[in-house]
Amino acid sequence: MRSCSKKYYWIILLLLAACKTPADVEIIPVESFFATASQYNYRISPNGKNLAFLKNYNGKVNVFVRTVDDTTSLRLTSFTDVSVRSLNWVGDDRLFCEKEQDSTKTFNAFLIGKNGNSYVEVNAMPGAKINILNNTVHHGSQILITSNDKNQSLFDVYQLNIETGNKRLFVKNPGNIFLWFADNTGNVNLGLGGDGVNETIYFRKNNQDAFKAVISNNFKSTLQPLAFTKNKRFIYALSNLNRDKLALVEFDLFTGKEAKLIYQNPQADISEVFSAGADAVPVAITYELAKRQTHLLDKKYQSIYDDITKKLPNREIQIIDKDTLAQHLILKTYTDKNPGAYFIYDINKKSLTKLSAINNKINPDEMCEMKPISYKSTDGLTIYGYLTLPQNSKGENLPCVVMPHSGPSIRNNWGFSAEVQFLANQGYAVLQMNYRGSAGYGKAFQTAGFKNWGTKMQDDIYYGVKWLIKERIADPKKVAIFGYGFGGYSALNQAIMYPTTYKCAASYSGYINLFTYIKGFPAYFKPYKLMLNEIIGNPEADIEYLKRSSPVFQVDKIKTPILIAQGGKDAKVNVNETNQFVKELRKRKISVEYILNENETQLFKDPEHKLALYKQLGAFLDKHLKTQ
Amino acid sequence: MKTRILSYRKNFTLIVSFVVLISILLIIVLLVSYRLTGKAVENEFAAAKVDVLEKTIAPYNTFFQNKIPEISFYQGFLDSSSAAKYAQSLIKTYPFIKRILFYDAQVSNRDVKDGLRTSNFSLGLKGLYQFGKNVSKDSVSLFDKSKPGSLSLKNGDEFNKIGLKLASYISNVDTAKVLATDEIFSVFYNISNNKITYMNVPRREDIKIYKDLMLGNLAQSPFYEQDVFSFELDPYQLSIKNTHPELYQQVSIKPLSFELGLQSPNILTTEIALPLAFSNFKLYFSSDISFLNQEIRRRFLPVGFGIIAIYGILLLLMFLISRNLKVNQKLFSLQYDFINNFTHEFKTPVAVIKIAGNNILNTKDLSELELKRYGKILDEEADKLNDLMNRLLSFTQIENGSIKINNEEINLAVFSQNIIDAFQLKYNDYDIQLDIKKLNSFKSDPVLLSSIFYNLIENAYKYANHGSKFLKISIFKRQKNIVFSFKDKGIGIPKAELENIFRKFYRIQSRYNQQGSVGLGLAFCKELVTFMNGSINVESKPGKGSAFEVILPLG
Repeated sequence: MRSCSKKYYWIILLLLAACKTPADVEIIPVESFFATASQYNYRISPNGKNLAFLKNYNGKVNVFVRTVDDTTSLRLTSFTDVSVRSLNWVGDDRLFCEKEQDSTKTFNAFLIGKNGNSYVEVNAMPGAKINILNNTVHHGSQILITSNDKNQSLFDVYQLNIETGNKRLFVKNPGNIFLWFADNTGNVNLGLGGDGVNETIYFRKNNQDAFKAVISNNFKSTLQPLAFTKNKRFIYALSNLNRDKLALVEFDLFTGKEAKLIYQNPQADISEVFSAGADAVPVAITYELAKRQTHLLDKKYQSIYDDITKKLPNREIQIIDKDTLAQHLILKTYTDKNPGAYFIYDINKKSLTKLSAINNKINPDEMCEMKPISYKSTDGLTIYGYLTLPQNSKGENLPCVVMPHSGPSIRNNWGFSAEVQFLANQGYAVLQMNYRGSAGYGKAFQTAGFKNWGTKMQDDIYYGVKWLIKERIADPKKVAIFGYGFGGYSALNQAIMYPTTYKCAASYSGYINLFTYIKGFPAYFKPYKLMLNEIIGNPEADIEYLKRSSPVFQVDKIKTPILIAQGGKDAKVNVNETNQFVKELRKRKISVEYILNENETQLFKDPEHKLALYKQLGAFLDKHLKTQ
Repeated sequence: MKTRILSYRKNFTLIVSFVVLISILLIIVLLVSYRLTGKAVENEFAAAKVDVLEKTIAPYNTFFQNKIPEISFYQGFLDSSSAAKYAQSLIKTYPFIKRILFYDAQVSNRDVKDGLRTSNFSLGLKGLYQFGKNVSKDSVSLFDKSKPGSLSLKNGDEFNKIGLKLASYISNVDTAKVLATDEIFSVFYNISNNKITYMNVPRREDIKIYKDLMLGNLAQSPFYEQDVFSFELDPYQLSIKNTHPELYQQVSIKPLSFELGLQSPNILTTEIALPLAFSNFKLYFSSDISFLNQEIRRRFLPVGFGIIAIYGILLLLMFLISRNLKVNQKLFSLQYDFINNFTHEFKTPVAVIKIAGNNILNTKDLSELELKRYGKILDEEADKLNDLMNRLLSFTQIENGSIKINNEEINLAVFSQNIIDAFQLKYNDYDIQLDIKKLNSFKSDPVLLSSIFYNLIENAYKYANHGSKFLKISIFKRQKNIVFSFKDKGIGIPKAELENIFRKFYRIQSRYNQQGSVGLGLAFCKELVTFMNGSINVESKPGKGSAFEVILPLG
């Protein structure tokens, strides 16, 4: 009996030894990576005394308030049907909160006192939506909101009484404005309009005049108004008109010309502008190269920023909110290994207090470093990207997952990515790259992706793999590709174009047919059609190119195992085509794992579906990359 | 209780009845398997048609399942030139496509001249094109929007049918639901006699828009592209893949109503309907009965051979068993003889001993001389018995392999002379000559070697007539062997018996064999020689004499 138990003891010991990964990295459950923040949307009251935030209560998001100095919070609402989407202080004592879509597809809003008193509903017509335009209180009790009550495709500006909840039409939409801008006196004389392709700035000198077009620019360039300057003839705007990189400028509304260049970076587009003071003067500018760079325009803020960076070294810092007198700042910080936390900074006391963590299930010590890298693509163009290696690895001969981003006109940033960390934790080196067509590197880089979706952009991705192999980071026999949206489209295209490079490919809501993708836009309005013809391709003239670039026409070239995750209501993909695609692959004896969630759209919303997807992705990669 | 009778049993009837039985069985099995083969061929004739059908319509299936739905992938963006490209590739690949009509259609809420309108929904025709092998280049365009009203009823028929289907679907659709596969099939396909009409399946969002167009009273809408293809098919152009030419002499495509006349009763036929678009046609299979019989025979051949082979093996086994039985029986009777002989041999000395003993017991006052005589008799007879028993013993010992060779140097002259002297003492009329050439000594077991000498010398005396009791023993070297040759002038051995004489218990039927021979001597010699790695052989002429040669390896 004793010898028997001894034998079992040895077997158990051996089993335990076999279970440990060689590098001794603990596998963290998927749930931990994709946990959402418990408290967020921190807003500080104009007088800098109270903090409002959103927090889960009985399964729905509700509104909570606390004072800056005391951590005990008061729950103002107890909704159990519809969650609160966002909140804003209107004055020092009241909050204006927007709710999620309800069962009648309406986005309602409400007003509530900071103590939970005098709750007033602000209801939209069924199917319509209410948004806040400006939370500054004018005339004692008026704020500005927009709503599409009258015509669902047009938002008009309303004045809302924050005590009674009564709204009064203030500015009627002349017909094509989709974004309104208020000035500090509560007037709305600026709007951004357009047909989705060409954007036009509309302006009127005073409330009685009609809106006049100031300047139009087409989809290849950007002129994004931010706010009025002190002199209401000028606005601060982000512009890349006549230059390659997005710069902060002052724009003259009278002449329709750029009046002054405030700041531009020779290498990157400006991504964020932080303004302060009564005149909302820009004080800090953010742009991104390998990492976020903040450029201060103001000496006072330079010292504040220096103090914060001293207190929170080696972290990315984002300013979220401030009070009117700019006594307090609300900050969000993060790193590649740390999902981050919210802080409040008292400018006078130079004190920093942590509010809450974004995901406290993540231990930064167990996360992996994200390293900026770059390589040359087929035509010599430099492609920037990020490489995340699994912990305790030598960085040699690793199984790799290539992860092209979605979009395509967005970019990967340095910071915490749950997806990347999940894969790295599973033992994979993860390569992300900002292929041509990605945003942030200027106009030329972005337009280089036009009509190159299935060609040069794919080369850029493929050259990333070549680089990984050349640097001996990747085990050439163990490379997989996974992506969402355009990334999924790329995953399938890579599998089609380079069948021997990838061991397997996973597409999450990947576009499988560019004709369908084009059809997803209201292509019968001429400007759209022209834009799509230029960005993606002309569905009539470029039929051969589009066929070649659409996975659905190339089924016979796929030889690698495929995983496809798809929502039944994804507007960019016709699910019947995906079904047909999967059926055809199976008929050709290609191993296909197919996750179809009938009621999901492009991005899975149900946390269950999301977790199930990543679990299956983990198992799929495991099966194809970890076994010989 | 029945006692088992331990006696000889007769095998002959058993064997005969066994052979008869398996022969009957053979015939039955042959007949039954022939029948079964016939049935199998018949069944296959009826069943294999599915296989032929599958192979024949395989290209049609890829056309139907892959190529037609591909139209939807273009999302209505096909125009006359891209549609032509698509159509030409189909016509090239699939010979059964006779003609393709392409209706370039547009959905809107505007009034249309050519097309279809229900409530505010209209499906207008931008153009109609035809493609086919027999369509000349200048007749590709059948209708153009620029000439409204010129669409012929015949050409517009398929378009209207599918348009109505779409309109009725749009008017009832639940846009919150995902389009199901069976709905796609019932709405966007129209399949009739040799015709398939297909309209590209709009996206969910498009269906929503179409519904709004139909039911709402909206401002003039833009045009939404829809593509409709109508394929005219020719079933006779399906290439038939007769995957079972051994079963079907002829496979052809016939109208569903076709039937073979009654005048050909010797033809077996079967048929299977073609799929949906060709539902008025069938694949028709026919074969001559004699053709099928040939196939049955072809299939039966290996089976028949197999059965006969098994039958042959059974017979062979039977023969081998009966032969073994026969040999065993012979052996048994030989052993029986042997015991008989032996008893005889024992009898004489025992009888003599008995008489001598009796005489000594009953005769009073035996003289010294008489006593000595009796003593000598007793001594001699006991020796004889002893000798007999020794021989029997050593024989069994050799057979069991329990003897060990004790090699020692033998002086051949002394050794041979001793034996010869002994014999000449025994038989004073025995003339034995010894001739040793160039050899002095030889290493061997003297006991075994003397046994061989004794036996052969004894035999030469025994099987010789009076007056010719002569033996010449020659010992010489031949290659690496030593040869002992024993040449007599005895009665000889008939040629037919030569190969039997070394067998156990074998004796040549002759008048001399009562002379104390048991037919063991030569067999014993052979055993001994073999045991000593040598060989023994004999040459003989009846009436003239025999020559035995014992060959043993030297050293």
